[in-house]
Amino acid sequence: MQWLTPTAGLIGAAVTIPALLLLYFLKLRRRQVAVSSTFLWKRAVQDLQVNAPFQRLRRNILLLLQMLALAAVLVAMGRPVLRLQEGPGQRYVLLIDRSASMNALDGQLTRLDLAQAGAREVVDSLRGQGAFDLGGQSDQAMVIAFDDRVKVMCNFTSDKEKLRSAVDAIEAGDGDSALVEAVQVARAYAQPPAEDANGRSAEPAAGLELFSDGQIHDLADVVVREGELRFHCIGESSDNVAIVAMAARRSYERPEEVTVFAALANYGPEPIDCDVQLSLDWNVLAVRKARLGPRTPAGAGSPGGPGSASVTFTMSHAGAGVIEVRQLRRDMLAADDAAWAVLPAPKRLKALLVSPGNLALSQALASCSLAGLDRLTPAQFDSAEPASLQDYDMIVLDRHAPAKLPRGRYLTFGPPPPDMGGQVQDAGEFIVDWSARHPVLEYVDLAKVFAAKHYKLTLDRTARVLAEFSDSPAIALVSKAGSTFVVVGFDVNESNWPFEPGFVMFCYNVANFLGGAAAGGDGAGSLKVHQAITVRGPQPNSQARLIGPGGARSELVADASGVFNYGQTNRVGVYSVSVGDRDRERFAVNLLDAGESDISPVREIELSGQPVQAVAAAPQRRNREVWPWLIAVAMALVCLEWVVYNSKVRI
Amino acid sequence: MSPKTPTSSRRRLTELLDGQFMARLDGLDIFSRKMLQGKLRGERRSKRRGDGIEFADHRPYVIGDDLRFVDWNIYGRLDQLFLKLFLQEQDLTLQVMVDVSASVSDGQPTKEMFLKRLAAAIAYVGVVNNNRVTISAFADGVVAQIANMRGRNYLHQMAEMLLGTDSAGPSDFEKACRQVAATRVGSGVMIVLSDFLFKAGYEGALRRLISEKYDLYVVQVLSPQELAPTFSGDLTLVDMEDDDRAEVTISSALLKYYKRNLAAYCNELKGFCTRRGAIYALTGSGEPVEALILNYMRRRGLLR
Repeated sequence: MQWLTPTAGLIGAAVTIPALLLLYFLKLRRRQVAVSSTFLWKRAVQDLQVNAPFQRLRRNILLLLQMLALAAVLVAMGRPVLRLQEGPGQRYVLLIDRSASMNALDGQLTRLDLAQAGAREVVDSLRGQGAFDLGGQSDQAMVIAFDDRVKVMCNFTSDKEKLRSAVDAIEAGDGDSALVEAVQVARAYAQPPAEDANGRSAEPAAGLELFSDGQIHDLADVVVREGELRFHCIGESSDNVAIVAMAARRSYERPEEVTVFAALANYGPEPIDCDVQLSLDWNVLAVRKARLGPRTPAGAGSPGGPGSASVTFTMSHAGAGVIEVRQLRRDMLAADDAAWAVLPAPKRLKALLVSPGNLALSQALASCSLAGLDRLTPAQFDSAEPASLQDYDMIVLDRHAPAKLPRGRYLTFGPPPPDMGGQVQDAGEFIVDWSARHPVLEYVDLAKVFAAKHYKLTLDRTARVLAEFSDSPAIALVSKAGSTFVVVGFDVNESNWPFEPGFVMFCYNVANFLGGAAAGGDGAGSLKVHQAITVRGPQPNSQARLIGPGGARSELVADASGVFNYGQTNRVGVYSVSVGDRDRERFAVNLLDAGESDISPVREIELSGQPVQAVAAAPQRRNREVWPWLIAVAMALVCLEWVVYNSKVRI
Repeated sequence: MSPKTPTSSRRRLTELLDGQFMARLDGLDIFSRKMLQGKLRGERRSKRRGDGIEFADHRPYVIGDDLRFVDWNIYGRLDQLFLKLFLQEQDLTLQVMVDVSASVSDGQPTKEMFLKRLAAAIAYVGVVNNNRVTISAFADGVVAQIANMRGRNYLHQMAEMLLGTDSAGPSDFEKACRQVAATRVGSGVMIVLSDFLFKAGYEGALRRLISEKYDLYVVQVLSPQELAPTFSGDLTLVDMEDDDRAEVTISSALLKYYKRNLAAYCNELKGFCTRRGAIYALTGSGEPVEALILNYMRRRGLLR
């Protein structure tokens, strides 16, 4: 038995018990009645007392009952708690998964609703703190919602109301689920005040209460102590058909011909026939049937996996538009039933080559099927009007680094643009590493590229290094002041790169990459959940209007470089941004995540080799406050007192 | 009855006794169980043989007897002298004691009015039958008294005295009885009308009233509220006479004990009276005086 507010009870007792006694004596102020003679009455009272030895007690039974009722109320004010768990105040971190798979409907409620309900039960089970409590024996909890981002809903507190509202405030998202960061954040908050070098502390570590369906992709990276994490598995069913991949491409030769590809996966145990619908700007163009096999369980020799099928549509569309592929079967999770792609109008790029004369580069660019390739000497470029340069989708600066560049998209060779270093290194270097998966270096092999001389690039952290010499970046992607640079830190004429087949490929990739960024092509228009929407505005601090899926509107303000950034792409769907009188730009945010579409709950998760079983029962109350019963007893006593009083007074 | 009787007195008498009731009382007379000797030759037969009209008995003649009463017919037949004895008719003294202490003002209807009407009725019967009637109102001793009334002329005086005496003050029954016993003469009927709620007791006082010469009637009048109290709650009962206080919490048990005590008290009084040849009657002030007089008193032989 523990008392949450013994002080309150004692104060109440000090005030009310004398008051009750006083009232009891005050109550004895009797009505005066004149009678002929009192002696018969006195005799009767005497007889009554003589003949009923318990009469005095009976007269006091009212006081006794009142005292008992008051005692019950006072004890209730002290808020005794039946402790179902011993020990000092504990701390809990409620980790609530709000990834896409938690939107799956299990019955009428989504898994997130169930997780919130479970979290509320945990909150209710905490040992609370009373108003007058001096001892710090109450449990504390904090609430963290996570998908692939972590949001701290509420820091450690014992205020249950605050915790409940924090739990209720969690909104569903369509993100991927990743636990590592959430656990790190939880640990950062939960670090006990006094911890020695080995991380040992007198205070027990905060317990982690994980509410999830177990579909978390980075479980292997999470390290927890034994018993530190309790896993509440949410969810029952695994019936889901998802679109896990989707792409729409124009044919290079015939730009009006569009090929739409979609891959479907069935995570349910039954084979499924479903209709897949293609629509363009929400006009249905075609419906295809697809047959998906059942999910194959993981067994010996096979990793198992969903039944899959792919659907390909071909259509002819010369303009821009939003393509939607939707599977029409109703299932548990709606977020992955459709995928969108923003189809830009076919556009040929226009490029400008600024070079003192470079045959290799000029030929490579000419082979890139550009809409136009203009050539300027550095001197002409420096004297050109900045406005006339706005038309080019790509400007190639060969061995030319003017101090000031107008906003644009650049590919530079040789000396880097301003503020990116540029110290000449004479030692010949091979490219030692490159990210072959980046679109710029797709199908480009840099293994044999050797530069006799290069410029040492000093880049800030936002720059993305695509290829490296042993001592400096060789190729980097830099976004700076509204401009995009693909910086090649050496002169192609002082390297063997022009003789490599990859060089033309590189020019083609860069043209597509920079041109695609300009046109909002397939790379820029199709986003994953939580990927930021970036739109170039006309000038700094201009206004734009964004309409999200479901018609949610928000106003955007451009930053100092005139770029609108919107990071709240929490839900899948089509977002459109209108800047001034320009045509609105549209962005498709897709789930396209096989891990999240697999909604089958996992009862046992494995955290870096340590299996954690889902907690079978609902969260156990760690304490039970008994005041409601005490109040009920007090009420019963008051009723009893009333009955006794009436039976005494009745004649 | 004098035609010059003041209307006020007339009215005051009718406040106590209405005309119809008086008419019925006219047909009654006080009767004593003992043939008692009166002071004057009255309309009453006494046990004392004498020169009455009604023949009673014979007795042998002894020297000195009045020869006028010798039955000469007997002498002629038996040759012996016998004397004829006659019943002597005497008057009767009626003593009425009415309680006017503060306690009798209690009740609904009040015991006071009941007692006064009862006293008036009994005294009326006595007065109109030419008995010697003394009526004494007592509280702390005798507070008002009209002695030796005889004849209807006294009726108004009696009514005035009864109505003019308010019930007030403590009661001292012993003292009142002492005073009455000391002043009464003759013989007859003694009627005590009271609630008999005397803290000092009634035994010694009543003993003073018991004598060979008087028939003692004790009429105890209690209010309906005393017979069956209707209080409830926590009360302080204040004694009307001595301001004594009793704190009671009325409960069914208490009321049971009260009623039991009251009954025991009345029975005790009744037993005390019966043992001493007195006649006891208990009545509630809510009952009609007429019924008590015309039924109960006649049955008990006080009135005929």
